[in-house]
Amino acid sequence: MMKINDIAWCPGCGNFLIRDALEGALTELAIPPREIVLTSGIGQAAKMPQYLKVNYFNGLHGRALPPAVGIKLARPELTVIAVSGDGCNYGEGGNHFLHTLRKNLDITILTCNNQVYGLTKGQSSPTTDRNTANMLDPRGNENEPLNPLAVAVAVGAPFVARGFAGEKDHLKELLKEAIRFRGTAVVDILQPCVTFNKVNTFAYYRQRVYRLDVPGKDRREALEIAGIWGERIPIGVILRDETRPVREPAGRIFQNSVTSVMMEMLLRTHSSAI
Amino acid sequence: MECNLLVGGQAGQGLASIENELTDLLFRLGYHFFATKFYMSRIRGGHNEHLFRVAEEPVHALSGEPWDVVVGLDEETERLHRADLSAHGICISIDGIREIEKAAKEHFRNVKMSNNILVGLLLNVLGVTSENLGALVKEEEKMALLVAGMDFAERWKMAGRFALMPRAVNTLKFDGNSALGFGALLGGCQFVAGYPMTPATSLQMYLTRAALEMPVHFEQAEDEISALNTALGASYAGLRSMVATSGGGFALMTEAVSLAGMTETPVVVVVAQRPGPSTGLPTRTEQGDLNFILHAGHGEFPRLLYAPGSIEEAISLARRSFELADRYQIPVFILTDQYLADSIQVLDNRPELTVYNREYEVFDDSYCRYALTPDGLSPLTYPGLSEALVKVDSDEHTEEGKITEDLNLRVRMVDKRLRKGRLLEEEAVPPALFGERNAGVYLICWGSNKEIVEETAARLQSEGRSVAALHFSQVYPLTPAMIENIPLMGKRLIVIENNATGQFAKLLKRELSLVADDLILKYNGLCFSVKELYDEVMNRLSGDGGTK
Repeated sequence: MMKINDIAWCPGCGNFLIRDALEGALTELAIPPREIVLTSGIGQAAKMPQYLKVNYFNGLHGRALPPAVGIKLARPELTVIAVSGDGCNYGEGGNHFLHTLRKNLDITILTCNNQVYGLTKGQSSPTTDRNTANMLDPRGNENEPLNPLAVAVAVGAPFVARGFAGEKDHLKELLKEAIRFRGTAVVDILQPCVTFNKVNTFAYYRQRVYRLDVPGKDRREALEIAGIWGERIPIGVILRDETRPVREPAGRIFQNSVTSVMMEMLLRTHSSAI
Repeated sequence: MECNLLVGGQAGQGLASIENELTDLLFRLGYHFFATKFYMSRIRGGHNEHLFRVAEEPVHALSGEPWDVVVGLDEETERLHRADLSAHGICISIDGIREIEKAAKEHFRNVKMSNNILVGLLLNVLGVTSENLGALVKEEEKMALLVAGMDFAERWKMAGRFALMPRAVNTLKFDGNSALGFGALLGGCQFVAGYPMTPATSLQMYLTRAALEMPVHFEQAEDEISALNTALGASYAGLRSMVATSGGGFALMTEAVSLAGMTETPVVVVVAQRPGPSTGLPTRTEQGDLNFILHAGHGEFPRLLYAPGSIEEAISLARRSFELADRYQIPVFILTDQYLADSIQVLDNRPELTVYNREYEVFDDSYCRYALTPDGLSPLTYPGLSEALVKVDSDEHTEEGKITEDLNLRVRMVDKRLRKGRLLEEEAVPPALFGERNAGVYLICWGSNKEIVEETAARLQSEGRSVAALHFSQVYPLTPAMIENIPLMGKRLIVIENNATGQFAKLLKRELSLVADDLILKYNGLCFSVKELYDEVMNRLSGDGGTK
């Protein structure tokens, strides 16, 4: 029988581990599923909400963040987590990534970063390393990879971290800290693509990742840590800055309505009667 | 009796404050008037014009008759319009303005005060005296400025030259965008996301100001793509939401229009049209985006397009847009344009102030966001209010909201979405008929041309011609039921539009098999005046003696 509604990830995909870590984090934080909203875009990582017991808004490619902003502004009491891949959050949605971080709403942004376009079958993503060859880049990727953590630190994100799908318990604790953090928390998650990325494999990362004991003491130091990539790759919280004001909508909107009395007052500003 | 008045000058010379003060005082004095503006896309310099039609009866369009008063803050104004003066018309040229500026500097220490003096002068030409203003203007210096202007009118022998009686009682003043904003608030709009774009920006500003006193949020987005996606997020979370933009910004929103259609997320999209293609004429008017909005968004899903033709309709249809977006869980579009957006009008009738109060059902954990129902409408609720998990997906989805490639279910989901469209057809707002049903000639229009066309028809009717006007404020869907009581067969149909290709005429043919005999199209970026349209219609009718 054709399996039309089962899990759409490849066997061994890093996304399974990320899902487990996220599920564990949400369970241990004891947030009722009804109060959690996941937003996502398009791509294999963006299917994450399908496989969790939560509310979700699975929107357009590159647009995981704007609905998260709208949901959080409308209903600040909800726990809002955007989760998508590197192509979605850093490529198609790059502009939203920059400007959502400037807002500093109390949301969490997770990017399952496999350094490749998986669902379209193996093209370069914004984070693909130089010289990596594929169908659309047969001579090797000629572009500098985006450093998402450096970008996040540079535009003022208050919480910036990197996790690794292969270190599930560490990732779970990291996600707990990110979700608990008041303000926008950015977590880039190294997610090996077992089908299309033959370079950045589980073994590749296991040899390179090391845990940070403490975050960078300031933005400058965080930027230095964000720049470490290659033989050694740090995971953990890179920056934790609680000084930035967290944006909230003025007043409770959903709990209130525009009333006839308010409209009467507004109508007076249009009236000729003195 | 009426007076047509034009004030021209460069951007930055204070034309907008003249318009503000003049319309505010005329309004509070009880005059009927209509005001609009022709302006350039720049911050300083250039040549802009503010046009006023002051009357003893309600007026809702430019007359197009010769100017009774022309005021030139620049030389260009006089050069362009001196030849158009009426028999006793007044032209205050740049020399006159210099004298007023000198007085402002000498007596009020500030050359900028010359604009207040000018307003006093213009009011006096219309027969307003300082006694009339006494109750309205409390500020001593302001009064002194206005009186100084009246002295100029006296000295230049213009006082009362076009004296009019103030006959409006207890009226309201709105521009088109304020009216849309007011209607949106009545409709329960609590969330607006936007990126500034002329001529929609003033609607965003109106709602931003209102939000200071109301449970309403405005969010400035990084781009229009974000704006509509953000509004959809807020709508999903339970707030009636809208975006406002113009053609170019709407182009960026089209993918999210399709998302609204697929996820069945209610949203209201206001498109204030301006001439394209591309950046076109950013501050001028056109009705060129009907086809675009009608077809925007990939895939097939129901939609509703309103195009209000008056302040009353702007308020009532904006309110209705939110009701229907919610009821049918669809995107609803409001097409306006720079002309309606920027025109200031006097409203006689007070709008009904009943407001929307949020209602939602609660469900248990068996809730399915896309439950298949006979009418296609699935019960709508929001996250976090009950055990129901609300799952929406841009992929084709199951009743629960999960991605599916079950192709049989796909067909049922398409049918479900389209069933809502058929229900929507039963809610159609019929076109407004102005004149006799048995008229031989029908002037057909949509959107902002309504009151220009109706006044033109009235003028033709007063000359004994068998002419009626038919205005569509709902431009899609168009259903046979909308026109079943209007005997259009065999009549001469003249379709009037502010575009170059007759987009609505083609839609009438496609949807209702109505074929236009003539098109009157204007696409130079300016609105029609009544005289201009009258001449165009007479031109078309002269071939067959007026009626068929």
